Amino acid sequence: MRVVAIDEARGLALCEPDDGPRSTIEIGLVEAAPGDRLLVHAGTALVRLEAAA
Amino acid sequence: MRYVDEYRDAELGRAVAGEILAAVESGRHYKVMEVCGGHTHSIYKYGVDDLLPDNVELVHGPGCPVCVIPMGRVDDGIAIAHQPGVIFTCFGDMLRVPGSDGTLLDAKAQGADVRMVYSPLDALRLARENPDREVVFFAIGFETTAPSTALTLKRAKSEGVRNFSCVCNHVTIVPPLRALLESPDLRLDGFIGPGHVATVVGARPFQFIPADYGRPVVVAGFEPLDILQAIHMILAQLGDGRCEVENQYKRVVPWEGNLKALEVMAEVFELRPHFEWRGLGFISQSALRLSDAYAGLDAEQRFSAPGVRVADP
Repeated sequence: MRVVAIDEARGLALCEPDDGPRSTIEIGLVEAAPGDRLLVHAGTALVRLEAAA
Repeated sequence: MRYVDEYRDAELGRAVAGEILAAVESGRHYKVMEVCGGHTHSIYKYGVDDLLPDNVELVHGPGCPVCVIPMGRVDDGIAIAHQPGVIFTCFGDMLRVPGSDGTLLDAKAQGADVRMVYSPLDALRLARENPDREVVFFAIGFETTAPSTALTLKRAKSEGVRNFSCVCNHVTIVPPLRALLESPDLRLDGFIGPGHVATVVGARPFQFIPADYGRPVVVAGFEPLDILQAIHMILAQLGDGRCEVENQYKRVVPWEGNLKALEVMAEVFELRPHFEWRGLGFISQSALRLSDAYAGLDAEQRFSAPGVRVADP
């Protein structure tokens, strides 16, 4: 999923997949910024893909 | 689609299949276990096994959370779901898993308020929106899903959401693998390691497999080329006489895993002494429960449930 916007106060991000609706994602486990691509599982980002590559 | 299309290239897939064919010894039969249910899904979805030589056999491992949850735990969930005032939430793939007398979907049909959620955060939102109801999240999954539950429980605790609780069925991947490897009847030549679990725990925890049992492990991604390449890497290790953990999924899996995830899991969970696995029986220290600091959010303490072991059919 790609990060659209960050809510730093709540530790959440608005994210969008390549196809499908946007959703709110927990980002407490990764450093994320708008435009980043995240691997998301059960509503939580586990990896920022550019960072792991 | 980046990170996906390049790993579904049919021409490259046929090329790797040719390298696999070149790597096998004629007259030798190879058995490779894909640990994760996600790999099993991809193997069948893309016909990966059709590209393999006849003497390379894929064996399905224990890494499917809904497949291994025992009937007694499903019965406990259904009993809680039927209690007055409860909104019972779970992932969609849990709804049709049979207990001894039906499924959560059956319970819903009988009047229980059972709702599918995509994440534990959705369940917590339901709790905030329904302060006069008790919202229970039925947590399942390996280390991939456990951090999501842990973070949600931390949120619930810090926000003081008192009508939210969790039935924790999270399991860990290493104990069942060790139990399988201890089986005297088992003959496996190597393992395709679970890529998404490894995003959390890293590749390091799988080192016991080559070290203690002399089998190679390749942590792999979930696209067809990932799986084919992992099989080729295992066969290469066997051909070279090497035995180690390799990481095919480096674009996602750091060797050390996600340290923040491991930290939050250590805070919220502790190991259960024993846990039953459907089809495998009891395995020591193979599952998680809420730690004392989070006992107030433990649905197993808040609600009465049968807690009875039900034998596999």
